[in-house]
Amino acid sequence: VNTDIQQIMQSKDAERRRLRALPWHEKLEMLDRLRDRHLMLRKTHPQELRAVRTVT
Amino acid sequence: LKKTLAIVEKLHAEGVIGPYAIGGAVGAAFYLEPVATLDVDIFVLFETAPLILTLAPIYEACATLGYQPQGDAIHIEGWPVQFLPASEPLVAEAVREAVTREADDLTTRVMMAEHLMAIALQTGRAKDHARLVMFVEAGIADNDRLREILARHSLLDDWAKFANRFLTP
Repeated sequence: VNTDIQQIMQSKDAERRRLRALPWHEKLEMLDRLRDRHLMLRKTHPQELRAVRTVT
Repeated sequence: LKKTLAIVEKLHAEGVIGPYAIGGAVGAAFYLEPVATLDVDIFVLFETAPLILTLAPIYEACATLGYQPQGDAIHIEGWPVQFLPASEPLVAEAVREAVTREADDLTTRVMMAEHLMAIALQTGRAKDHARLVMFVEAGIADNDRLREILARHSLLDDWAKFANRFLTP
């Protein structure tokens, strides 16, 4: 694997680990922000949002 | 979301709902990196199952507090909340064995990671498989406990298929 791609993958993994380790009450605040952003995008960029996945 | 969960806990404290647990994407966020979701799934155990299961008392209590229905959910403090009866054996067990989480002024109950995984496996949609892969990659499950749950609910074959399809390099 190309070293640039390897670095990107490693930094993404590190970010995922950091988010995973957040205290749960901070994660709830993050879910608020993610949802707000999703709803805003739904108003402003409905076409692009079709490609964005949300889960239930 | 904190306010939303505080209202759910209040409904429980006041006896409107029985034992409950957060499931779905919000439940998974307690263990994994949060992923955008638009609603909250609250699974509720009905201690004495009536002949016809009705969520009407929950809707009435919420209306009294000023929270109105929105589709198949109730809009509570900015979030649509789906109250779902924990009628399936696996989900009922997940609610009974849910973990209480406390921080600041908020108390809430969330399903254990292993139950969230088993339910995702049982539900089996693409997004459930994606979440299951995230759980496996995070390596947070107690594998013995997971295996016991899967065996108890006849899900070991499904797990083998899932592992073969998604976890084999």
